[in-house]
Amino acid sequence: MFLHNLKYEFLQNIRAKSLILWLILFPIILGTFFKIAFSGIYESTTVFSAVPIAVVEDGDNSVFREVMTTLSEGDDALFETEYTNEDAAMEMLEAKKISGILYVAGEKLSITVTPAEGGPSAESIRQTIIKSFGEQYNAHCNIIADTVANSPEKISDVVSALSEDIKCNENIPLTNGNHDNMLSYYYNLIAMVALLGSDLGLNIAVSSQGNLSAIGARKCCSPTKKLVTIISSMVGCITVQTVCIIIAVSFLAFVLKVDFGSKLHMVYLAGSIGGMLGVSFGFAIGSIGRLGVNAKSAIATAFSLICCFFSGLMAGNMKAIVSTYAPWFNEINPAAVISDSLYCLNFYDDYERFTQKIVTMLIMTVVFTIIGFFLTRRRKYASL
Amino acid sequence: MAETIVKIENLVKRYKDLIALDHLNLEIKQGEVFGLLGPNGSGKSTTINCLLSLLTFDKGSIEIFGKKMAPDNYEAKRNIGIIMQNVAVFDELTVIENIDYFCGLYIKDKSERKKCVQDAIEFTELQDFIHFYPKKLSGGLLRRLNIACGIAHKPKLIILDEPTVAVDPQSRNKILEGIQKLNEEGATIIYTSHYMEEVEQICTRIAIMDKGKKIAEGTKDELKKMIKNTETVSVEISEIPDDILEKLSTLPHVYSTDFNNGKLEVKCSGGKHNLIRILNVLQESDLHFGRVFSELPTLNDVFLEITGKALRDSD
Repeated sequence: MFLHNLKYEFLQNIRAKSLILWLILFPIILGTFFKIAFSGIYESTTVFSAVPIAVVEDGDNSVFREVMTTLSEGDDALFETEYTNEDAAMEMLEAKKISGILYVAGEKLSITVTPAEGGPSAESIRQTIIKSFGEQYNAHCNIIADTVANSPEKISDVVSALSEDIKCNENIPLTNGNHDNMLSYYYNLIAMVALLGSDLGLNIAVSSQGNLSAIGARKCCSPTKKLVTIISSMVGCITVQTVCIIIAVSFLAFVLKVDFGSKLHMVYLAGSIGGMLGVSFGFAIGSIGRLGVNAKSAIATAFSLICCFFSGLMAGNMKAIVSTYAPWFNEINPAAVISDSLYCLNFYDDYERFTQKIVTMLIMTVVFTIIGFFLTRRRKYASL
Repeated sequence: MAETIVKIENLVKRYKDLIALDHLNLEIKQGEVFGLLGPNGSGKSTTINCLLSLLTFDKGSIEIFGKKMAPDNYEAKRNIGIIMQNVAVFDELTVIENIDYFCGLYIKDKSERKKCVQDAIEFTELQDFIHFYPKKLSGGLLRRLNIACGIAHKPKLIILDEPTVAVDPQSRNKILEGIQKLNEEGATIIYTSHYMEEVEQICTRIAIMDKGKKIAEGTKDELKKMIKNTETVSVEISEIPDDILEKLSTLPHVYSTDFNNGKLEVKCSGGKHNLIRILNVLQESDLHFGRVFSELPTLNDVFLEITGKALRDSD
């Protein structure tokens, strides 16, 4: 009986147009839209790229050349340096091919940049970097010149101290994860897919209750125990929902090339548990009250979208705002919990916070399922 | 004596201040096609829902197959087939899948189920539509699918709650023929309807309900014998003088005359040749008249005479 019911639960779900639309097509379309909309935002606003500069030398300066070579090498080069004459450098600056010109005359360094338009921008940041470098270079040169002139025996200590100063500014990453802020939109997209699975759970409740649907009444009249049909339907819906989550995550990761970090398998896991949460949430909603299936479906969808809104699907900083004014809400908002689990997975190297979020999701799933069972357990009704 | 399949005693069901069933008593024997006839809101569906243990009730008892009916009386449920007023099928499953699904709630064995499903398809003549989805079926075919889902497990007791609502006459006839065939194959049938012609056509015994009460019970002949009227003569006539109308009312066996909207209606109780006597009076008075009908009493007349209102008014 269990397998019989499970088989037909599968068939119904995979043939339901609403499922194909909301759980498969919608995340694909919205994910693609996100990819197009966010494409390049991270690279242009967050990822550091070498600052293009021109160097105009007045005579040979081997120390400066050595410093510039060091700063222009490797994947994390600070400058992209081109040695040229003053006229060519000015032309390049006017054509915005470079962000500034370094003039080297003996031990002295001077800088030319063009005023950055508008407020803070990537260009103004580049100019600040050039200016900071120039000031630091001049300061170090002055220190070394003074030391050579006044205390030559301490020159090695001074050079060593200046080197340590540089080491203090080394970039130490907090995590190996992807820092792209736009990822939160994809996390919320996965959370939304998980919660839209509530429609599946809702149908289980409605089609199990004699006072909510004719099919429910027919099932209630059969000798098959309600618990058997409900559990098999839950298993069927959760399986279908898991497949939808896998499709959504796979599409984002492999087709849109969204970088979920090195723990993709755990993204699948978190998404699937989120899917269980969505189904159980719908089951609970479907069990409450006497409204028809369409009204309940509208309520579940609206509730899912509201949860996703406060989790940041429509406005990226919404979760931070909620966190400031009502932090408790983020702890009980299913969408926020699902997206947080994905965030923890990417941002933290250990699984402690991720596990906390997964446990929260499982507790919510159990609570919603118990509510659903409690309300659908009735076999006789006061009115139909 | 046939075995009692359903026994309802003193059943009372209230919806707050409204009494939906008022001390209802019914006894249905094996092999009967038992009709529950009454206008909308008379308590037919409430009776069925209480019978199926879907509805709670305030007082009384229900026994099916000799045992108290309860939600966990799975043995009784196994032998009951239910065809609801609303079509209860899954839109995402084909005709054959729907029948198999509902049959599977009663029969575990796959091969046995397969045969039952096939029999149900043949019985409802849905062979050409087994791979159709319900949305592609006409209203009549959908009703037949609804019936197939309810009877596929070969129940001993089949309950049909207004199965012909919104069905075209051709499909209605097929459904009624099917019900008679199921009865011939041994099933006891409970049939609710507010269409008296259907009930007259197929039911061996009938209970007429109104306002939650059983107002009459018996075979259709027994019910008709309960009332005064034995024949109603209707004549299409443009006008009729009062003295002629008075003369008609004094004829033997005539107990009621009425003229309204060009139609003369004369009701008789017993006697023979009532029609001839009435037409003679009209001819002697040199009145011209159109079509003439002589009708035997219907269940509507029974209902009208007992309750003072027409059964059809509620359609």
